Order: sequence, then structure tokens, then C-alpha cells
Amino acid sequence: MTPDGSGKPLCGVITVKLGLVIDLDTCVGCHACAVACKEWNDGSPVSGPLSDYQPFGAEPSGVWFNRVRHYEVGDYPASKTINFPMSCMHCADADCVTVCPTGASYKREDGIVLVDQDKCMGCNLCAWACPYGARELDRSSGTMKKCTLCVDRINDERLPEEERQPACVLACPTHARFFGDFDDPDSQVSRLTAERGGFGLLPELGFAPVNRYLPPREPKPLTGLEDARSLLERGLASLASPLIRR
Amino acid sequence: MMMYHSWDSQNAWLRQILSRNFLYMNRATAGASGLADDDWVWVESHHGRIRCQLKTMEGCEPHTVWTWNAVGRQRGTSGLAEDASEATAGFLLNHLISELLPASGARRFTNSDPVTGQAAWFDLRVRVRKCAPDETGIQPTFSAAKRRPDDDGSRPDVLHWTRGE
Ligand code: SF4
Ligand code: SF4
Ligand code: SF4
Repeated sequence: MTPDGSGKPLCGVITVKLGLVIDLDTCVGCHACAVACKEWNDGSPVSGPLSDYQPFGAEPSGVWFNRVRHYEVGDYPASKTINFPMSCMHCADADCVTVCPTGASYKREDGIVLVDQDKCMGCNLCAWACPYGARELDRSSGTMKKCTLCVDRINDERLPEEERQPACVLACPTHARFFGDFDDPDSQVSRLTAERGGFGLLPELGFAPVNRYLPPREPKPLTGLEDARSLLERGLASLASPLIRR
Repeated sequence: MMMYHSWDSQNAWLRQILSRNFLYMNRATAGASGLADDDWVWVESHHGRIRCQLKTMEGCEPHTVWTWNAVGRQRGTSGLAEDASEATAGFLLNHLISELLPASGARRFTNSDPVTGQAAWFDLRVRVRKCAPDETGIQPTFSAAKRRPDDDGSRPDVLHWTRGE
């Protein structure tokens, strides 16, 4: 117990813990978040260019802060596609920061993990330390880059308040992404995590990742399916037959 | 779900997400036909045939094959290098599909959905055959598109964008 009875340490108090919630139930794997991320961050004062290699050639590749993978779970006909966007988890216990020999990698009081481009020497140690593959070495600048949680958007008072959110969150057409403060139990991200059983990736590694994923919902068993189907088929047939008789 | 981005533009970023396509087939159907991931296959219809590379998946109806169409490009188009994967590995189903429905009487109808007018690309019967070991590479192929006079064919190795002040 700490002196104020809260259980929280009194010195070095972190009162804000910013991160993302990603809903694996509604994500359709469109990559709009990844493209919007690259659009906002490319050439930004925080990270500089996000270089592209062989952009028009045989094997195009480049620096992205957010990548969407696609997995299949189960066998036909009970198979399901899971789309899985991944970016930096802004871990509470981030080895990427502690291994950095130049002090370029650091964690802010609001929880955001950043790389100071002027101090980074591109040694790659942090990329080896990160179990989530979130760090991207820019071969062109020779420095490490990563998700900034759009640090240059979220507090910018020149933006309308509803736009002070990461580019990926604003872009998602299915509203599968949410941004907020996990230290506030009443925030949308905290409530969603509690209600939907949100989980962090690879907790056993001890990095204490902040981002949370909402699991796909169990499909509800359909009742009266046959009735509905025959009704629909009869309805469609009577609607379509005058149209397609030609 | 990512392909709708690229209908018109295999641009520098979108083509990092998808710069070639495969023919997708139900995994059990493929197994029963002696087909496996990355096999080269002939796909034949009443109208034509193409050669392309196969991927198997669970989430596909057993008697249906599909692809992300509109990735394939003629060499030298869309501002891409001549060895771009869109031209060397990407393919189109267009060669299999007739513009017109079979003749019935004097009038010919377009092969399109009667309600929306969309090209009717959902009801074509095809045969899929494994290629002989020496049959690799997409078919058909075409000669490279003619370049604009101001295009020397070179493309940058690296792109970086900086924000204007
Ligand atoms: S996800 Fe990787 S880069 Fe991000 S804070 Fe955790 S260890 Fe560091
Ligand atoms: S928070 Fe910003 S930097 Fe991070 S993935 Fe989203 S758009 Fe990219
Ligand atoms: S934009 Fe939304 S739906 Fe599309 S891949 Fe990203 S999280 Fe998923």
C-alpha cells in the first residue's frame, strides 16, 4: 500500500497511458489504416520520409508503421478470415528503449514510445528487442522509425477536437480502431476492453503492451433459417422474373 | 479485402500491398485434383485460356475459383518498370470471358447482369489443369507498351517524400 492508499507509486507517476484498441470482429482487412498512416507520417517532422524501395520495380517495399496481415482460422465450411493490423504496442516495459545505446529511443510520460531521429545510429538493437516487429529501419536515412501514435496530431490545437486522433483511427471505414487513455477507466478504450474481453499480444513476454485487440464475436446460431431462405427466394424470384425475361 | 484500392492505379504505395495476383481454390478441391500452392495451372473456358499460379485456401466454395482481377498489366504500362510483377506474374481473367452471350436468334446480348448491367463475371465454367513441369510463366503475354517520347524507361530505386513548409 502506498501512502495515499491508491496502490500507485507517488513519484514518476504516469497518469496517462495512450494506445489503440483494434476490433478484430469488424476489421475487414482493407489496409486503409496502413495507407492513411503512411500518408500522415511520411515526411513528418517527427520521423522524416518513410522511404520506398523499388517503388515501380519488380519487388516494391518500403517503411510502414502499420501493417495488416490476413489469417485463415478453421477448415471449410467453418473457416474464417481474421485480418490483423499491427503497429507499435507502446509497451509499458519496452525493451526497445532500454537496449538503445544512444538514448534515441525513449518513452514519454503519456506512454508514447518514440525515436529521436537525430540521435539514432541505425544499429538495429531495438528491432531485435521488439517482439512485435513494430520497428522499421529506413535503409535510406539509416535510422529506425516506428508508429508515433500520431504524436503530431493528437494534441494539435489547430485541428478540430474530433480530429485530434491518429490518422489510422480516423481512416478506418468500419470503425474498428479506437484511440484513448487506458489509465482512465471511463475512457472508450477502457470500456471497450472491459466489455469485449480485449487482450494484449504475447503478455507472457512481459513487455506489458498497451494496445488491446477485441476478439471476433461468436456467430449467433440462426433460427428459422430455412423459412427465411424460402421466403427470400420466392420474393426474389417474383421480383426478378419480369426483369430478366427478355 | 484490399484490392479495391488498386483498380486504376498500381501506385508506389498500393502496389506494396499487392503487386501480383494468384488463382485461389478451395484447399480440399485442390488436394483431390493433385494441385498445391504455387503450382502453375492452365485455366480454360469456352472462350480462351490463361496460365497462372495457384494458391489454396479454406474460405472458398469448393467448385469456385477466384482472383483479385485488375492487378495484371501489360509490360510498360501504369508507369511501372518493364519487369514489374504486375506484368510478369499478374494476370487477368478477361481472356476467358466473352463480351457476348451465346447467339439466340438475330440479336446478341452483352454478357452482363440483367439488373445492374455489370459485366457478368460470376457464372463462367472453367477447367483447371496442372501445367507440365516446363510450362511456367503467365500466358498470354504481350509485347511492351510503346513509351512516351520523354520516358527513358528508368525508374527511381528509392522514393522519399518531404512535407512542404
Ligand atoms: S511494440 Fe516494440 S517498438 Fe513498440 S514499445 Fe513495444 S517493444 Fe518497443
Ligand atoms: S497511431 Fe499514427 S503512426 Fe501509429 S499506426 Fe496509427 S496512423 Fe500510424
Ligand atoms: S482500416 Fe479498419 S477495417 Fe481496414 S484494415 Fe485497418 S482496422 Fe481493418
